Amino acid sequence: MRAMLLITAKDLRQRVRDRSLLLMAILVPFGLAAIFSLVFGDVEDQQAPTFVVADQDRGQIATTFTGQALAPLERRGVLRLKKAGTEQDARTLVERGEAAAAYVIPAGFTRDVLSGRPATLRVIGNVNARIGTFVARSVADAFAAEVRYVQVALAVKGGGSPQEAVAVAAPVTLENLAADRRQLSIGEYLSAGMAVFFLFFTVRFGFSSILDERRDGTLARLLAAPIPRVTIAFGKLLGGIVVGVVSMTVLVVAAWLLLDARWGHPVGVGLLVVAGVLAATGVMAMVATVATTAEQAGNVHGVVAVLLGVLGGVFIPIQQMSGALEVLSLLTPHRWFLEGLADLHGENAPMLATGPTLALLGFATVTTGIALTRLGRMLRT
Amino acid sequence: MTAIAWVNLVRLFRDRTNIFFVIIFPIILIMVLGLSYGAGFAPRLGVVGGAGPQAARLVTALERSGQTLVRVGDDAEARELVESGRLAAALIIPPDYDRALSRYTRIVLPFVSRNEPSALQMGAAVSSVVGQVTMPARAAAYVRDGSFEQLVARAEGTRVPGITVSAETIGSRVIPESVSGFDIAATSQLLLFTFLTSLTGAVALIETRQLGVSRRMYATPISTGRILLGEAAGRVAVALAQGLIIMFGSALLFGVRWGDPLGAAALLLVFSLVGAGAAMVFGASFRTEQQAAALGLLTGLGLAAIGGAMVPLDLFSGTMRQIAHLTPHAWALDGFAELLREDGTVVTVLPQLGVLAIYAVVLFGLGSWRLRAVLTR
Repeated sequence: MRAMLLITAKDLRQRVRDRSLLLMAILVPFGLAAIFSLVFGDVEDQQAPTFVVADQDRGQIATTFTGQALAPLERRGVLRLKKAGTEQDARTLVERGEAAAAYVIPAGFTRDVLSGRPATLRVIGNVNARIGTFVARSVADAFAAEVRYVQVALAVKGGGSPQEAVAVAAPVTLENLAADRRQLSIGEYLSAGMAVFFLFFTVRFGFSSILDERRDGTLARLLAAPIPRVTIAFGKLLGGIVVGVVSMTVLVVAAWLLLDARWGHPVGVGLLVVAGVLAATGVMAMVATVATTAEQAGNVHGVVAVLLGVLGGVFIPIQQMSGALEVLSLLTPHRWFLEGLADLHGENAPMLATGPTLALLGFATVTTGIALTRLGRMLRT
Repeated sequence: MTAIAWVNLVRLFRDRTNIFFVIIFPIILIMVLGLSYGAGFAPRLGVVGGAGPQAARLVTALERSGQTLVRVGDDAEARELVESGRLAAALIIPPDYDRALSRYTRIVLPFVSRNEPSALQMGAAVSSVVGQVTMPARAAAYVRDGSFEQLVARAEGTRVPGITVSAETIGSRVIPESVSGFDIAATSQLLLFTFLTSLTGAVALIETRQLGVSRRMYATPISTGRILLGEAAGRVAVALAQGLIIMFGSALLFGVRWGDPLGAAALLLVFSLVGAGAAMVFGASFRTEQQAAALGLLTGLGLAAIGGAMVPLDLFSGTMRQIAHLTPHAWALDGFAELLREDGTVVTVLPQLGVLAIYAVVLFGLGSWRLRAVLTR
């Protein structure tokens, strides 16, 4: 045990003296997280679309539309309303993109509806505001259905008044059930993504420093010492784990303090971070056993870390990935780490992200196990 | 001089990992990004239940209204998918929907969504479809004179003038439909990687200094100016090689179009000069390879994000777009967009070429001045 800690302590001293570790483990991921939060936070900031109404009719049916179909939606924050004097004004606002869509209620609209003549409600949408236009159209369709209902109801009954017909409640209504948001904001997602992406580069020094020792000729001396080989391996692994946990903690706390990231319960996040560090250490140790020189290990590590990062959704949120890629991403620790953070996010989130944490520990066990069975190959001098 | 440039290029490809980072990685990234842009950002609506004929009608109508529907097993799963953002919202149709409708019992459909504008909008759209589909049932409820089925059939058969909703769209498309996800991904990755590879390639310049190669070159009867020119040419060659690999690779593999060939070539060349200039500055300013590599990564990815090479500039707000245009990336993106979207030529992208040329001149000036200082020390 003491020998193991001695090896770890020696490795850590070496790492701390090498200032480039500080750059790669903390400065670069944090810098990128800050930039990404700024850029992508700006993009994500979604607002309710603005609709313009050009009411040239001002009759009873037109005011019913604006007052009873549109106004409640505005109160609920679904959309924002603006008035325009003429159709041309409305078109200009839409064309410039200041409004997502415009309603044009032509003169004589109320008269036509009440006297049973065909009437037209026009929706003009901005070509780039696809969803806004769709919503504008849906709202108009709903109103048209209401008018059609009254006409159909009276026709089928063969009498009655519109007031009576309207008094019959709609048979099917929607009830909004609010769901929690258990998803990271884009800024949080990318901060966490960068942290876990660079974690793989941070922890790789642990196990592969065996190769450094071989290059420097100190491995033979280490092996000559009266300590079991597994102790050497664990001492090396522990060095990487300590650096990994420290750098991840710094990044998580920095994102919380400086970038306004809201992570979940500290216990859950802490366990997830430790599990993530163990998984990263294991994967990198396993990969290192393929290499014979420190330089080779560095190259293979770079390729593996980048590929896993891309597949794991560090650069592109997993929600946007298509089927096959989403399944592939399950094979990366990155994906599980990010998913664990998402699980812990939100007001009624659990304290622990059990599934993802266990998945990461699974990665750690399997990969470290494989690395240890190939230990003999690593410790040749 | 050509020898120096050539050696720099050989050094780039001698390292086998660089083959991965320069050739394979950008292509993989373009593929992944192209596929995910291609899938579109259409919000998805989950539907639970919907077995009976009336319920099935509602589901069909929702589909026809343009919603992207996903069948979900049960309520808990629906909630889970909405909370994690995989679905924008979910509509739960209870098993007794059909029976309740025919017995005039009011039905409340749970609509699970997060309190966000996009989900609220989807709610308004779904509510509209529900109103339209159940209109005959509501008419039946008003009349109540005969069986439910008969009344619904009569209501459906009744022709009324109603209100017609006419819809049109105006304005010009920011991204024309002919521009594919791969086109967007390839342009942005071209810029990201050309610049990034230039900066990380600057490590070679530091190596040259550390190994004393530059001192030995200085001892030969070649003038300092020529050595500088050679190193600069080496940096340009590296940037151009990266750019050309992405341009031709994406065109061959994914059919990416680049617009007017002359204009695209001019933009790539000038942007490579900018990247090479930045590499000179980096190579001259840092003492160790690790420093240069780490800060190269930060600068390369950071500028790409700010400059719109990660998320399209079209999605940026006004202020952010102005900030973006402090980076060479944004100008080059504008240039490529002009070529592709407006069928521009080398003449119409002259303003962008001009701005990029200024970047290149300033960076090269700074880089050669610093490099001369460190090489002749």
